[in-house]
Amino acid sequence: MKILSMSGFVPEQICDTVRFTGFDGSERLSHYCGYASDFISQVREDGSIDGAVFPKSCDSSRSIGSYIDDTGKFIYPIPVPAVRNAESVAYFADILKDYKTKIEQHYGVSISEEDIKARDAVISVRNEKIAAAYGMLKELSYASYIREVHASLNAPYEFDESRISKGDDGKPVFLIGSFLAGTGLADAFEKAGLKVVADNMPESGRLASRAGSVPSETDIYKKIASEILCTRPSPTQDLFDETIKSDLEEIRSKGCRGVIFATQKYCEPYDYLFSVYKKALDEQGIPALQVQMTDSTDGNGKASALEAFADII
Amino acid sequence: MPDSYLVHVAGAMRSYYKDFSKYAKGREPSQKVAWVTSFTPIEILDALDIEYIYPESYAAVIAASGLEQPLLEESSRQFLSCDCCSYSCCFEGCVETGKGPRGVPPKPDVLIATNNQCNTLPGWWNILAKRYNVPLIVLDYPGEFTEDPIARAYVEKQHKEFVVKMEELSGNKLDENELAKRVENSIASVAAWKRVCACLKDREVPPTLLFDNINFLITARCKEETALIYNLMADEMETYPECDKSLTPLFWIGYPLWYHKDRYLTEVMDGFRVCGSNYITWWNLDYEGDSVWDKLFSAYNNTFLNLSQKTKTDRLSALIEASGAKCAVTCRNKSCKCDYVSAKNVGIPQAELEVDMIDREYLDVERAGKLMAILKETIS
Repeated sequence: MKILSMSGFVPEQICDTVRFTGFDGSERLSHYCGYASDFISQVREDGSIDGAVFPKSCDSSRSIGSYIDDTGKFIYPIPVPAVRNAESVAYFADILKDYKTKIEQHYGVSISEEDIKARDAVISVRNEKIAAAYGMLKELSYASYIREVHASLNAPYEFDESRISKGDDGKPVFLIGSFLAGTGLADAFEKAGLKVVADNMPESGRLASRAGSVPSETDIYKKIASEILCTRPSPTQDLFDETIKSDLEEIRSKGCRGVIFATQKYCEPYDYLFSVYKKALDEQGIPALQVQMTDSTDGNGKASALEAFADII
Repeated sequence: MPDSYLVHVAGAMRSYYKDFSKYAKGREPSQKVAWVTSFTPIEILDALDIEYIYPESYAAVIAASGLEQPLLEESSRQFLSCDCCSYSCCFEGCVETGKGPRGVPPKPDVLIATNNQCNTLPGWWNILAKRYNVPLIVLDYPGEFTEDPIARAYVEKQHKEFVVKMEELSGNKLDENELAKRVENSIASVAAWKRVCACLKDREVPPTLLFDNINFLITARCKEETALIYNLMADEMETYPECDKSLTPLFWIGYPLWYHKDRYLTEVMDGFRVCGSNYITWWNLDYEGDSVWDKLFSAYNNTFLNLSQKTKTDRLSALIEASGAKCAVTCRNKSCKCDYVSAKNVGIPQAELEVDMIDREYLDVERAGKLMAILKETIS
C-alpha cells in the first residue's frame, strides 16, 4: 500500500501514506494550483504510487479526482467540513471511518481501532515535539526546522530536534501560507537576513496547535476529527476573522517586524485571505510581502524581493 | 391579447431590484436582507420573508452593462488577486466604489454561502463578512463525495439549524406548509424551464434568450410567478419557426460570456447554431424525496458541480446526445476551476476556448476564430 496524501486534513492515524511534498511532473493545467498539478502528476506518473487521498477543501483539490479517475488506483477525496462545530466533528468522524473501510476493502487489509490508537499515540508525540520546537524558533534555523518537519510527516513519524541546526540572528518575521514544498524558499529567507520566528503554515504552526488539543475525547475517530478541525484553522475553513485575530496576536507577542505571505499561484483560499489580511496588517503598520510559488518545486528566485523586504523592515 | 411573459418578467425584475440604491433612494428595506450564493436553499428564506440578493448575478449584470473593467481594476487595488473568480473581483469593485448599473444592493443583515458549486464562494463571502461585519453562515454540502446516509443526516441537521438562525434573524416562525409550498413552486419552475430549454434544439430560439432568462430560475425559483413566466415563454417559443438545419448543431459547454452582447461568441460561429448548453441546466435541481427536508437535501447536495466526475460526464453526455450536437465549444473559464473538467470525455469534437465570463479582455478572439475554423474542418 503506497497512498500519496495531500494536506493536513488527511488523517495520518488511519494508515501510513506517502505525504506529498513535491514532484517535477508533466501535468500543467491552466489557472490551476501548480502544487495540486504536481500531485496529479505524481499519482499519474509514479508507478510506485497505488493510491491517492486528498481533501475537498479548495477548488483545485476538489477537482483532483477528475484528473486521476482513469488511473485505476485507490482514490479517496476527503470531504472536509466547511464549518466547525460538534455536528461537523461527528460527521467528519464518520468520514474517517468510511475512509478506513474503503482502504480495507481496496487493499484487503484490516485496520483495528487498537492500530489507530497506537498510531495516534505516535502522531501525538510527534506533534508535541514539533510544538516544542515551534516555541523555540527564535533560536533555530527555520530552513533546518521545516525540513525536519517534512521528514516527520512520513512513517515512522519521528521528529528529532537534535537534527535541527541553530539559526543566525535575523530580522524577526511571521510566515503564513500554503505547504512550503519548495524548502529552498526558507533558505532564501535566511540569506536575506530574515528570521521566521512564528508561522501559520499547515505543517508547522497549525500542526503544532494540535498537540494535546483534545485530551478528553474517548471516541478515537471523534478525537482525530476534532484535532484536525478544531485547532488553528486553515483558510479553507472559512474563519478569516479568527485567523487574522490570532495571527496578529502572535505577530505582536513574538515581536515580528513583517509578514511574509508565501502561497501557491492560483490558490484562491489564500488569495481571498490576503485581501483582508493585508488591510489588517496595514492598519497595524506591519509591512507584508507576498511571494507566489508556481508549483511544488518552486523555492528559488525570490532573493531580490526578500532582500528588499528585509531592508524595509 | 394573449398574456406575454415579458409583462411578468418586468414585474419580477422590479421586485428583485426594488431595494438597490438606484431605486430605493436611501429607504431601508422592509425585510431582513441576506446575500446568498446561487445554490442556497432560498425556499427557507422566502418562507421566513427574508429578502435574498445574489452578488454573482449582479456581477453578470455589471459585465452585461459594460461596466466591469474599472471595477475589476478597483478590486486589484483592494489587494484582491485578479486570479480570483471575476464575479468576486467585479462585485468587490462595485461595493468598494458604490458604482453599478442599478446602484449597489441593500446592505446585508446576514451572509450565506454554500460550497455545492465551488469552494471559492465561501472564501469570497469571508471578505464580504469583514467588509460588512455581519454574521456569515456557510452551509456545507458534501455532494457525491460522501455516501448518502452520512451526507443526508449531516445536511438535514444543517438545514434545521439554519432555520433556527433565520427565525431569530427575521423574528418569524417557519410554517412547514409554507416551506413545502416554496419547494413545490421550485419544482414547478424547474419543470417549466425544462420546457423552455427543450425549444433550443429545434426552434429558431436565440441562445441569448435562455442565457439571460435563466436568471429567474437562479434568483426566484421558489416564487410562484417564475413557473408562470417560463410556461408562457415556452408556449411562445414552441410556435417559433424550425431552426436552420443546414447549420452544424453545436453544444456550448460552460458559462455564458456576460460581457458579450449575445452572451456567446457569435462572431466566430458562422455555420454553427447552438443547440444546447449545460449552463442552462445547472439550476434544474432535483427535489426528490418524500419530506420537505429530503427534497432540500436532494436539490442542494447534488448540484452539478458537486457530483463525481463519472456522474458529471454521464449527465453531460446525455445532454449532448439529446441536443443532437455534432461538436462543442468548451469554455476553459479562468474563473472556474471546477467547471474546467466538466467536458472530459464527452465524445464529440470540441474547440477549447480560454475565456472569462466577466473580463472581456481575457479572450483572444482571433485565436478563438482559428480554433473554430479547425473545429469546422474536423467535422466536415
